[in-house]
Amino acid sequence: MFYRLSGVHHANYVSDSRIFKVPADRNLTAFIFLIGLAAPFIIPSLYLNSYMLPWLIWTAAALGLNLVTGWAGQLHLGYAAVMAVGAYSSIHAARFGVPWEFALIIGGLTSSVIGSLFAFAALRVKGLYLALTTLAMQFVMDWVLTHSPAISGGSHASLQSPTLALLGQEITTDTGFYYVAFGWCVLVTIFMLNLKRTGLGRALVAVREKDFAAAILGVNSFYYKILAFATSSFIAGVSGALLVATFFFLAAPEQFSVAVSIQVLAMVIVGGLGSIIGSYFGVALILLVPGIVNGLVVTLSDGLGTQIDVETLAHIPNAVYGALIVIILLIEPLGLGKLYGNIRDYLMVWPFDQFKK
Amino acid sequence: MKKLTKALAVLSMFGGAMFGTQALAEPFKIGICYDLSKAYTFATPQVSQAAMDLAKLINMKGGIGGEPVEVIVRDHGNEPQRGIECYSKLSREGVFVFDTLSTPVSLAILPRAMEDGRILMQSLVGRGDAVDGTVFDWVYPIGPTYWGQAANDVAYIKQLNDGDLSDVKVGFVYFDYPFGQEPIEILETLSEKEGFELELYPVPLPGSDQAGVWSKVRRDKPDHVIVWMLGGAHVVASKEMKRNRIPMDKYISVNWLNEVDIANIGKEAAKGIKRGTNVVGGQDIALYQEIMAELYDKGEGSGPIEKTQDVFYNTGLAMYSIMFEAARKAAEAEGLPITPTSYKAGLESLEGYDANGLMAPITVTAEDHGGGGKTRIEMWDGETWVPQTDWISEYTDVVWGVVKESSAKYEQ
Repeated sequence: MFYRLSGVHHANYVSDSRIFKVPADRNLTAFIFLIGLAAPFIIPSLYLNSYMLPWLIWTAAALGLNLVTGWAGQLHLGYAAVMAVGAYSSIHAARFGVPWEFALIIGGLTSSVIGSLFAFAALRVKGLYLALTTLAMQFVMDWVLTHSPAISGGSHASLQSPTLALLGQEITTDTGFYYVAFGWCVLVTIFMLNLKRTGLGRALVAVREKDFAAAILGVNSFYYKILAFATSSFIAGVSGALLVATFFFLAAPEQFSVAVSIQVLAMVIVGGLGSIIGSYFGVALILLVPGIVNGLVVTLSDGLGTQIDVETLAHIPNAVYGALIVIILLIEPLGLGKLYGNIRDYLMVWPFDQFKK
Repeated sequence: MKKLTKALAVLSMFGGAMFGTQALAEPFKIGICYDLSKAYTFATPQVSQAAMDLAKLINMKGGIGGEPVEVIVRDHGNEPQRGIECYSKLSREGVFVFDTLSTPVSLAILPRAMEDGRILMQSLVGRGDAVDGTVFDWVYPIGPTYWGQAANDVAYIKQLNDGDLSDVKVGFVYFDYPFGQEPIEILETLSEKEGFELELYPVPLPGSDQAGVWSKVRRDKPDHVIVWMLGGAHVVASKEMKRNRIPMDKYISVNWLNEVDIANIGKEAAKGIKRGTNVVGGQDIALYQEIMAELYDKGEGSGPIEKTQDVFYNTGLAMYSIMFEAARKAAEAEGLPITPTSYKAGLESLEGYDANGLMAPITVTAEDHGGGGKTRIEMWDGETWVPQTDWISEYTDVVWGVVKESSAKYEQ
């Protein structure tokens, strides 16, 4: 219905490897892009500033993790640590006087170097062992951060970020911050959309499915794994830096703790491994739903005039949120992205699929 | 497609109109963004219950300047992102006084509060150098900072040793992350100044494994151990001390040691344990009795009565007595409605205020946002807490030296 297939023919490779094979997908994406552009004018500043902005930045970060975990199939439990490397190196660079454009790139590159250096060591092992080694990386980073005042910014371990300025323009308004986050998220999304149809993307998928089979086909699996780690670390680094520059305004170790690493992994898994739109949904669920459910529960109990004590009130949303994750993964183990895919596939041939049965 | 686009555009515009306009509300409100579900739950329920009880009591007596007061309690799960959400949401609803009782969240809100000109109360948490009012205009860590408290602990040890610390050995057992590491700088400075030997014993989080730490303490034989840990970690520590035959009276805890911890250690077993404290413990307090008579006896308390028999409930009463007193002063001086500026002036006009008898008198000024920060040392005698010192505030010059050095870094 919405996703009309009639008249869509792929007669050659170029047409078959288009990003949007169905016009409806392209239109929908364009529509959402426009909404994103217009968001500062249609969405109240509270929602723009405390929901949309972190959502977009975390989506960019989750897409980076999806690259290494979803595409290349390497479990990564130290992703927040890589984000921290990027955040701290960018901020230090910016405080040193480097323009923000370069500071962000420096942050990305440092993350990339440290992330892939670590991958060199970690990639000698696979599966759960790799997960544990990456977790170790997280703990090493945590320790380094809390024990080096030179990096973390003194006894309170909080490092003030200088005012963000891009292209000679100081950014201080909510709208400005939003557009920075939006721009970065769009960039990463375009990169990921294109990754699917390049040789690199196919090589990563080959490595994920069976790395020695890939090696027999001439895909150097170790090289591609390192490449995946380096690329995803770059995305992580810049996302971490932007998170601090546009949202937190100061960097503290708690913002990149092991709990955060697990949260990002949860975003990717709930969203769907290897799914781009799934990353958007996954981040929304993991990051925003607790706050929203919290607000709803409070409004509900106020509205009903019930006297629930604050502690219970705080735990109900957690229970609801936990149940939500379980239910979603029970309905569709491949995540929210697949859930959307199912709906899309259903509508694609509707109502003609009814005849088959 | 076009129709859908139009419909959605109209819908979103309508939504914008609905959410966009919110007028400033009438009553004086305090935004309590607390961690009620994760790491700080050992104290937040008691403190927020105290805040709600106090607000009820004030409203029964006619509010502040004839207007009712309101406390809004929200959970942020100790996540900076949700703390910011709570702050942004409430500040759009007209709240301009916030308390987080969580160091990570307080740090996350601080740049925004400074930018927006909203009052960030951060008694007992957050960055200690925020007492420097010349740098942190909008941040009020009223009461002692961890730095001041650590210095007072050293002053207490000095009292015990007749003013000579030259051959005394002090151990410092701490959680190995910013909360625990904070006092190290002060202790090192004082160790140089007073000539006592300082031994550091970091405890990895979450503090459930302290076997190595305490056997090291046994070998080093420090005369006193200052402890910067929370909740259950005290219980683990006391077990390890028993195992290593270290007497309990060497233990001087940070103020985060309450009746629940004592019960978990065992009332008898905990005999001799000491803590620094910033509020008067126990129930023998006029304000507490009044709350009991007016609220709990009539079944109108904000929670279970057991939670009020806890030192953190008293801590909450003290913190919020100060906040409401400042509001009262603001209303008195500049009338209603109270604004951020008049409230700030109200805070800075607090002079010798003892938080309804719960604290040593504090005097807040534009320069000193801590208000003096006195603590005293108490010892558990198996039944109750026995004060070991007066309310003291020692080595203020050393503490302020570190404060100034640290706050200068923020300004950069």
